[in-house]
Formats: sequence, C-alpha cells, structure tokens
Amino acid sequence: MNYRDALERIGGDEPFLEELLNLYLDDFVAKSVRIQNAIDQQNFRQIEELGHGLKGASAILSLGPLEKASFELEMAGHERDIQKAREIPSLLKQEVERLKDFLAKRKETPLCEERIGE
Amino acid sequence: MAKREAMKVLIAEDDLVTAKLLERNIKKWDYEVVITRSGEEAWRELKQDELRLAILDWMMPKMNGVELCRKIRQEKKPNYTYIILLTARDHQQDIIEGLSSGADDYMIKPVNLLELRARLEKGKRIIELEDTLLESQKRLIELASRDSLTGLWNRANVLKFLEEELEQGLRENHPVSVIMVDVDHFKKINDNFGHCIGDIILAKVATRLKKNVRIYDRVGRYGGDEMLIILPNCSLEDAARIAERVCLAVSKRKMKTSAGFLPVTITLGCASSDHFSQPSVDGLMQASDKALYKAKNQGRNRIAVAKVTHVLIKRQKNEQKTLF
Repeated sequence: MNYRDALERIGGDEPFLEELLNLYLDDFVAKSVRIQNAIDQQNFRQIEELGHGLKGASAILSLGPLEKASFELEMAGHERDIQKAREIPSLLKQEVERLKDFLAKRKETPLCEERIGE
Repeated sequence: MAKREAMKVLIAEDDLVTAKLLERNIKKWDYEVVITRSGEEAWRELKQDELRLAILDWMMPKMNGVELCRKIRQEKKPNYTYIILLTARDHQQDIIEGLSSGADDYMIKPVNLLELRARLEKGKRIIELEDTLLESQKRLIELASRDSLTGLWNRANVLKFLEEELEQGLRENHPVSVIMVDVDHFKKINDNFGHCIGDIILAKVATRLKKNVRIYDRVGRYGGDEMLIILPNCSLEDAARIAERVCLAVSKRKMKTSAGFLPVTITLGCASSDHFSQPSVDGLMQASDKALYKAKNQGRNRIAVAKVTHVLIKRQKNEQKTLF
C-alpha cells in the first residue's frame, strides 16, 4: 500500500483513512462471497461489475496490488474467461492478508516502511 | 443577511469506500448530501425538485449512471439537474458516450478531491444562474400579465381566467359570475383634475375592489375605467351581494389625492352562467354589460343584475332548438 499517497488523496486525515481502510476490509468480506457466487454461477456480467467496483475502491486507497488483481477479475468477466476468473479470489485474499499485516505493523511501529507490494 | 440554505448533492455510488469519501468531503464543503446505492434508488430521490446536483457512478447495479443520465434528461424536470459522471473508464469513446447521455461533466476515478470541489462549484454556479433566469422569466410573465397602472390582471388574462373558470364550472356543475365595473363620471375626473389624478383614482378603486372580493375571485382591468371581477362557484344572488359590498366600499370614503379628497363612485353589472343553457365568455360579457348599462340609466353608484327572464327565454329557445 502506498500509505502516503492514499493519505494525500483523502486530504491528510489519518483517522479518516483508517476508517476507510476498515470499511474496505469489512466490505471485502461481503464482496468475496459475491465474487465466489458469481464465479460459481459463471455470471460474467456480475464478475465484471464486482471486479470494477473493487478496483475503484482499491485505487482510492492506493492499494496497488489489489487494484491490479481487481482489474484482472474485471477483465476475466469482460472476456468471459472463467479459468482466469477462478484464479483471482485467492490472489485477492492473499493481498488483503498482506494489507492487514501491514496495517497491524503500522500500528505497532508507525515509522515502518509505508509501501508494500509495489 | 440570512445564510443561504446548503445546496443538496445526490451521490449514486454502490462502492462503500468511494461513497464514504465523497460524502465526508462534500459535507465539509457545505453541501447537504443524499447517498444512494443504485441507479434506481437515485432515480427515486431525484424526483425531488430540490436535488439539482448529482454525482453518478457509471457502473451501478440495475440502472447504470449512463442509463440514469438519459432518464433524467428525458424526464424534463422544471429545474435543471447538473450531473457529474464518475468512472474508471477513461477511453475517449467512453467520455463521448458519457457526455452524450446527458452528463454535464465527467471525472475519472480515483477522484481528485480538489478537482471535484471545483467541478461541483461550477455546477452550483450554473444551477444558481438558472434559478436567476427562471426568476426573471417569472417576473416578466407576471409583468406581462398585469396592468401596470392598477396591478390588476390585464384584459387578456382576465378573459382567459373567465374562459377557464367557465370550463371548470361546466365540468363540476357550479355557476360562474362576472361583475362589470365602471367608474362613474371618470371623464369628468380626468377633465377637471387631470390624467394623473384620474390614474390615482383608478389605482385606488382597484385596491378597494381587490380588498372586497373573495380570495379566489379575480379582478382585471377590462379597458379604460372598466374593470371586471370573475367569481368562480358563485350564483347571481351571491354575485349581487358581493357587488353591493364593493360598491359601498368605493363610495363610503372619499379618495385622497393631491387635488384633495374626492368622492368616487362606481356602477356594477352582474351576470351568472347559471342563467345560460350554454354559457360562454361572450354571452356573460354581454349580459353583464347590459346590466351595467341598466344600472347607469338608473342613476349610477348602484348595481344591476342581468335580466334573468331575458336569458331564461333565450335558454328555453335553445332548449326548443335542441328538441327539434
């Protein structure tokens, strides 16, 4: 995550950035279920929409790898590529775990490296 | 000076993070925010007239931003809705499609907040400009509908009201009455005191007329010193009572002018649609004019009602006509 970039984008309000990140993580749980359902049902339109939505939220928070994976999901939906779509959820989950680790570490030592997975 | 009410901004965004970010910042910029999570929900909210600024996400469930834009433009609300379309789609073709759907502005995600603020201010300026124009238009229509001297409805409008009231009266089966008013010896007032005093007298008579009719009656200047009162849902008997009241209101107190306190009287002729089998504007006008003429002949400063028997005979004749 490019923390500085995200902080700058939202106007430098750190507690608000934390609130947005928590909202993102909570929403990710719900979105993951919907993504999996859409993949199981091969609902390509929904796969594309969910990928697109997640991409937007990730971009706002400067979550580069999550933005990239979401874009992959959006493209898989657009191209009706179920094989490719099936690969993305685990990638997303992996990146979310890395984000959680980063945020936890940041809480413990606020001066730690501010960029992950770039 | 009273603080202006905050302008309302509708946000249509299904992503929680984006919606939260927009809501928080737009509120900070002194707008009121209405959040919706789908195109359909946004459409319902946009039916409120006070929602004039909208930020729509392109991709939304059920109805997307572009479809919503088209729907808003097709609806043709009385007031304009300024629309900013938000999207991650940055191809030229997408921008063209977005703007062609009726959006006024287009922003690529992730949104730069400073830029969004400037674009919202632009939208607000356009909305305010439209409000000023509509207000001027309203004032012009009002001015064009009124007689500039007396402030009464002008001839064209008062006749239009009579026509509308007659139609409604026929539909709802209730009578419409008219009272034709004439200022007594108005030519003498003009000749003796000048046209300026004549004008003051007309304006004062108009004021007394307005004060002494019912709230839903309409008073217009028919021409020269003639005025017309339209009385919806009013029988000839009631119209006569109102005419008596108006007549007395004008005569009981002299009118203050720069030439001193002048005694002014009026004469009134009443007619009602309930004495016609097929009431018309012309018929009522003629009947009230005849009644006015009769009252004048009887000595002025009085009222007269249309000769009921005369119109009833006419009605009987008409009914006979329809029988054969």
